[in-house]
Amino acid sequence: MKTKARTFIEEVHDSRYVLSQLVLQQLILRYRRTVLGYLWTLINPLLMMTVMALVFATLFKAELKTFAVFLFAGMIPWNFFSSVVTQSGSSFINNEALIKKIYLPKIIFPLSITFALLIDSVLSFLALSVIIMTIGGSLSWALIFIPISYLLLFFFALGVGLIMSVATVFFRDLQHVVLIAMQGLFFLTPILYRPDELMGNLVWFVRLNPVVPFIDLFRAPLYLASLPTSGVILESVLISLSAMSLGLFVFLRQQRQIVFRL
Amino acid sequence: MSIIRVENLSIRFRIYHDRSPSLKSYFANLFKRQSQTAYSEFSAVNEVSFTISAGERVGIIGRNGAGKSTLLKALCRVYEPSDGEIAVDGRIAPLLEIGAGFHPEFTGRENIYLNGAILGYTKQQLIEIESEVVAFAELEEFIDTPVKYYSTGMYMRLAFSLATSMHPDILVLDEIFAGGDAAFLAKAKSRMYAMIDNANIMVMVSHDHQLVTSLCNRVIWIDHGKVEGDGLPEEIVGRYLGGKELG
Repeated sequence: MKTKARTFIEEVHDSRYVLSQLVLQQLILRYRRTVLGYLWTLINPLLMMTVMALVFATLFKAELKTFAVFLFAGMIPWNFFSSVVTQSGSSFINNEALIKKIYLPKIIFPLSITFALLIDSVLSFLALSVIIMTIGGSLSWALIFIPISYLLLFFFALGVGLIMSVATVFFRDLQHVVLIAMQGLFFLTPILYRPDELMGNLVWFVRLNPVVPFIDLFRAPLYLASLPTSGVILESVLISLSAMSLGLFVFLRQQRQIVFRL
Repeated sequence: MSIIRVENLSIRFRIYHDRSPSLKSYFANLFKRQSQTAYSEFSAVNEVSFTISAGERVGIIGRNGAGKSTLLKALCRVYEPSDGEIAVDGRIAPLLEIGAGFHPEFTGRENIYLNGAILGYTKQQLIEIESEVVAFAELEEFIDTPVKYYSTGMYMRLAFSLATSMHPDILVLDEIFAGGDAAFLAKAKSRMYAMIDNANIMVMVSHDHQLVTSLCNRVIWIDHGKVEGDGLPEEIVGRYLGGKELG
């Protein structure tokens, strides 16, 4: 069994060049032949968050500047998580032609999606940070925690993404289900609202929602200018470890079947 | 010294009768317990055994749907054996379909790197062969144009030049391919033959029996996923053609 895990790791290591090419492919394709090119990585989330901040600040009668920072801190991890989960789902289906012709370690397909989205997310994070600073946000030492937040979020999203990528091959319906599920999950995650603003039966759902601690990992340093509480850190470490183990377990068990089910 | 050992290899596909199982029916069946199978199994390759040693040039012949390509893909690890074992010693080149992994939006040059990576070249190797590939494909002028604007011939030339610029120990071919005009065809053929000469082992699937007899020193005849004949090219091709005329 040990040798099996070892060959798997060696294989992934040996394919790092293909992996980097696939990541590059996704980054390049998204903006090829657009006038603004890579700037869209920055403009897109910026415009979206401006709209949301304006609408919801008015709706909730909150102060625009504070609310914009609050929203931005929640949207960054959410957008990354939600795109990884939805896009991983179709990673094998979209590469069917290739998988049926050439042997490549299967994990590089969901893995390349996760890496490409991580790069996108970090870029928009940087752009938004600059905006926040210029409208009068404050820098704090707590920001040095952000790389750790990203690391934990990365493994959590990758774990769930791995499960989705395999599951979608077997049950194509999931491609549609996941879109609706993510929409629902968005509202059950305290992104637009504070967790303590919630009342009624929904509180329980939010408490069970595994995405919540990851939102806190970003919100604490960005919005509250403090480190996340040790409870939140512990919770997210546990969740991302379990997601990753479950993801790898499902993936390693089923990866040989994928080509037969495409 | 390369060697390929195939033992009792079977590759089975499931054919679903109605549709791919939906989540609903999957859970419904979980509770029903009585598993009425909505699919039947089909053995594309059925208990095949053979050993190919260094120096052998093997042609695989047989009717359409006999399992030849599935067998080749199994050698290249695309399909995992459902039963049995495949042991391959030596670097194997996946030359099943050229241009697999080309991206239409990418330029020729970008595709050399993308597709090259997929074919298993290292970055260093690609930097070294890039200019040779471009020159052989005669695409100097268009190499920075997205390949979706290429003509079929240009596309084939680039894919062919790239795929044939490495020298694997074990060469696996699904039909000899070469596109383009007469001049390129001649050039491509000699490149192909040089590649075959350099390979330690060559395995090819072809319906061109003359080509098989001229290039190979051993022929395996596959029918309905089983080995029907294995031996000298003239003998096996003769038996295959004879059998076909009879019935």
